[in-house]
Amino acid sequence: MEFGWTSAQQDYRRRVREALSELLPRDWYENYVPESYASDKNIEFSRTFCASLAQRGLLVRHWPPEYGGEGGEDWEQFILAEEMKGAGEPRGGQYMNVNWIGPALMRYGSEEQRAEHLPRIARGDTVWCQGFSEPGAGTDLAALRTKAERRGDVYVVNGSKIWTSYARKADFCFLLARTGSTKKEISVFLVPMDTPGITVTSFPGLTKDGHLNEVFFTDVEVPESARVGDEGAGWQIVTYALSFERVGVPRYHVGLEILGLAVEQLKAEGRFHSEIVRSRAGMIVAKFEAARMLTYLVVDQRVKRMQPNTDSNVARITALDAVSDLMNFLIEFVPDTLAGGNPLLEEYYRINVPAGITAGTYELQLDLIAHRGLGLPRG
Amino acid sequence: MDYQFNEDQAALVSAVQAILADHSEIPQSARLSYSYYDADLQRQLVAGGFLDAGRVLGALEAALVVIECARSPKVVETGASALVLPQVLGDEPLEGAVALISLGDLAKAHRNLPIARTALVDLGEEVAIVSVHPGDVEEVDSILAYPYGKFRTLPNLETCRRIKGGSKMRQWWRVALACECAGAAQSAVAFTVDYVKERHAFGKPIGAFQAVQHRLAQCHQIALGIYHLALRAAWSKSAQDADLAACYAQQNIQKLVFDLHQFNGAMGVTNEHLLHFWTYRLRALQGEVGGLYDAALAISGHVFGAVDDQDQHPTVGKDFAIED
Repeated sequence: MEFGWTSAQQDYRRRVREALSELLPRDWYENYVPESYASDKNIEFSRTFCASLAQRGLLVRHWPPEYGGEGGEDWEQFILAEEMKGAGEPRGGQYMNVNWIGPALMRYGSEEQRAEHLPRIARGDTVWCQGFSEPGAGTDLAALRTKAERRGDVYVVNGSKIWTSYARKADFCFLLARTGSTKKEISVFLVPMDTPGITVTSFPGLTKDGHLNEVFFTDVEVPESARVGDEGAGWQIVTYALSFERVGVPRYHVGLEILGLAVEQLKAEGRFHSEIVRSRAGMIVAKFEAARMLTYLVVDQRVKRMQPNTDSNVARITALDAVSDLMNFLIEFVPDTLAGGNPLLEEYYRINVPAGITAGTYELQLDLIAHRGLGLPRG
Repeated sequence: MDYQFNEDQAALVSAVQAILADHSEIPQSARLSYSYYDADLQRQLVAGGFLDAGRVLGALEAALVVIECARSPKVVETGASALVLPQVLGDEPLEGAVALISLGDLAKAHRNLPIARTALVDLGEEVAIVSVHPGDVEEVDSILAYPYGKFRTLPNLETCRRIKGGSKMRQWWRVALACECAGAAQSAVAFTVDYVKERHAFGKPIGAFQAVQHRLAQCHQIALGIYHLALRAAWSKSAQDADLAACYAQQNIQKLVFDLHQFNGAMGVTNEHLLHFWTYRLRALQGEVGGLYDAALAISGHVFGAVDDQDQHPTVGKDFAIED
């Protein structure tokens, strides 16, 4: 048992930081990050940024060599994620590509699908969106209603997806659609977003522009060759894909950066002398550090190829507790956060409004811990 | 980064667990007491060299011993002996259990003082080392689940031995505190999980109610967080990590104690139910070494700079994640 980084891991982190300092535009924090990493401007920037990362061998280093990676250890993927999130996620939505869309295709994709998509993802110039949530199916994903009906050698897709970050600019959709009548008869399709019959509508919300889109599928024809795995295997594929995301984003990393920014502002305004403010800041740091330790626990388990367990759910809610405390800190002590203050603080607050909802609600995490972790009986 | 025990650590933990298993029963005569100090268990831990783990093996191993012992409903003095003493006194041996005391509280009752042969008094920059004889201490009744006592006559701190090391003492006291919280919290959660599976209300186990499940899941989360922060603090020997571990423990004890007692219902109020042996140890630790706010202010100082250094930029973030 030990909790330090190896020198190779520290070198890798330095390489990532160097890349960030060289590749990000000078006005990155002024003009890009405040717009959110899902904005059209940032999505377009991600195409050049990720391509440059790829050229430096940093984008998919953790992938196997046959798919363009170097077989790097899982810790490197996580170090990359920490640094990218801490810098405002210049990969835009492409973090999904390298974290779970690519690995899902490696496991379940056909030879043709792997040949078509994996090199593009590894080059860093392709944007995907995730076609999972629907107006009536979010956390209860199996309740989705978008249908893919087989007609000869094509499927005809009808329905709609909601939330769907990056959809306006995405090249492909990793689409989950119903292919049978029972609850889990769903399949995954790789659908080009310029396919006739697909329209995208954006709507305003508490998060910034780019995150909230609705994607409508009207008689969209998708070839059978675009289906991933067997018909009806969607649930298994999505479960596998999301197991790569079970650690979640390194919220402690960006949270501590943001807390630091808030403290800088408080110092500049002469308001950090208060023991109330300083102790609250200290408590938030402690919560983020608990989240860090529990997140690293899960990464360590993944590195050792241990069976997934509810420690990942524990890590997520610990991070969410800290995020919630930080949002309250901003509102109480830096009240201009949402009214003309530091745009980086505003963006942090707004992107985290749905933090307890995305990728499985806070309550779902608690359910999983209670049942699978503690063995409590179902009601 | 490696969260798995190495062979030596696994063997150490296994050996401690074996001794604890041999001492798992609380005698019937003590069953209704507020705390139960097991002198024989303490002797065995000393004789087996387990409380020397900090000197012989390292602070992380000592932390593992403290955590395992804190899982027991019984009291043994491990944190001060195994974690604080080696850091403050080095290899110098001391006989018997140790009590830790903050200067301002000298006249008040102290945890473990009735079983201690030495008290370390935090004087700020220095530490006073006070020899304690059984006749010096008057036991104090308390529902806090440690033996409590106060000096019949206050020791003269001017004439007793004093050494440098006040900050070291506070740092390792916080590590010890977090380790004891980790073990006690994990046991209290496990005890409660078992209880809510068995206890029925409204026709089903109370553990089947989502209102209970969610809060119990959060208690598990807190206990796991304390455990890993405590171990990191022992491993890194960093004052900041010690403050983080204590702060996280002390800010969450309130919820832990409230929720766990809620789920054990009226049974949890009785002494015959074991819960209080852990929860009222947690309560005892909640205010030590200055409590939550002192720990939080210390963290703020580490991370954001001292208050008289307002222009200093925060160190949080980039350098925070790397152990250089």
